[in-house]
Amino acid sequence: MTDFPDNPMGLSPRSINDASRSLRNDSESSESDDSLLRRVNENDSIAMTKLFDRYAGMVYSVAVRVLRDAGRAEDLLQDVFFQLWRKPESFVSSRGSLGAWLLVVTRNRAIDVLRRRRPMESVDDYPLASTISFASEVEQGAMMQKVRKALAMLPSEQRNALELAYFEGLSQTEISERTGDPLGTVKTRMRLGLISLRKALQA
Amino acid sequence: MNGGTHIAQDDLALYAMGDLRGEELKQVRDHLQGCAECREEARAIAEDLAAIGMSVEQHAVPAGARQRFVESLGGEAKTQSPKRAETTVTPISVARPRTVWVPWAVAAVLAVGAAGLGVKVNTLRQQLHNQSRMLAQSQEEGVRSQRVLALLRTPHAQRVTLTPAKTPAVPSGHTIYLAERGELIFQGSNLKSLPQDKAYELWVIPANGTAPIPAGVFRPDSSGDASVVMPPLPPGVPAKAFAVTVERAEGSAAPTSIPILSGAPTQGE
Repeated sequence: MTDFPDNPMGLSPRSINDASRSLRNDSESSESDDSLLRRVNENDSIAMTKLFDRYAGMVYSVAVRVLRDAGRAEDLLQDVFFQLWRKPESFVSSRGSLGAWLLVVTRNRAIDVLRRRRPMESVDDYPLASTISFASEVEQGAMMQKVRKALAMLPSEQRNALELAYFEGLSQTEISERTGDPLGTVKTRMRLGLISLRKALQA
Repeated sequence: MNGGTHIAQDDLALYAMGDLRGEELKQVRDHLQGCAECREEARAIAEDLAAIGMSVEQHAVPAGARQRFVESLGGEAKTQSPKRAETTVTPISVARPRTVWVPWAVAAVLAVGAAGLGVKVNTLRQQLHNQSRMLAQSQEEGVRSQRVLALLRTPHAQRVTLTPAKTPAVPSGHTIYLAERGELIFQGSNLKSLPQDKAYELWVIPANGTAPIPAGVFRPDSSGDASVVMPPLPPGVPAKAFAVTVERAEGSAAPTSIPILSGAPTQGE
């Protein structure tokens, strides 16, 4: 999975920044993630702080959603960004945009914390190659609204199954036990849910 | 796992969510290396799942979090050692057979001394880092206290008394909520104790009819008292009502039971 263009999600720094309510000014927003990461590679803490400002809100929000604990969510926030500071080479642009990668790393680590399971050895182990095109039509959380709308349009059973898997890290078997629905039904709902979500986002 | 030819979509979803470990993870990775079709499907699933992550309610980063992060950058060395830590080696052009051990002995003594100093420096640096963190935490607590006081003193903050929905008014809850800043304090009294796998969860019911917003999971003390102070809430969400439900211990994404306490702000609040 190395044949993807840089920043394939096309999610502009401004979009993510605005959505996460960070406090970056316009002059700072002009520097690309790649440029900032190059400076981070050279031990530039100012560049690292700018990346923190750019994505901390989004990372923290995902951590809060999964962990439901502000303290643990901040611990995770610090951990994710400090990992990026120590090993900026962990992120390679072929894995997608930095924002999407941080989001996935945060979600997966939060689930590890929630389920008290051993985390993967490094963030490099996390699979992601997101090429979804949020494109330039996205401004100030428009993408979030689109996703929320798409999720709201799903039948509640499908949405519930996806959210239990994504935000609580439940396996399909565990979802079946939790909801009392047959395992096959859970699998079908998740599959249909993902398909419907994909269609809605591509529409 | 792959059914002979391709990996099942269910397994690709588990892979995309980072839920595979050990041999299963290795099998999927190995297969994806050589299967463009499965690789494309895995990528598509990753896209879908990343989109779900985009749906979460946004929360402001806690006060002081940025400062703590900035301080941690200064207090911790990166994996790659800085250049100034590298040892400079000066070649000795003229050999002196009888006293050749002297510079080596001096160098060894200096090296031991330098190592000791290095340990000391690292210890002091760690202490400084810890002190800085404690100071930052104290400052944050001070800021938080100020905010709590300001919220309590704000005349137009909503003050709501929550009473049992259908039962005699024994348990009660009081909420102070400032919608414009997303700040809330809840105090509960006479709450019944719950089994270990259950907890109370407070909800803000938005006035615009959107889904209830979780505002904190809590358990009462032995006296039945409990409080939720400044839970992470989005600012600018006027509340139609507040409610408390019994949920599983870690809390729920949406209420799953009938509220045991609920209340709405009176007109004008």
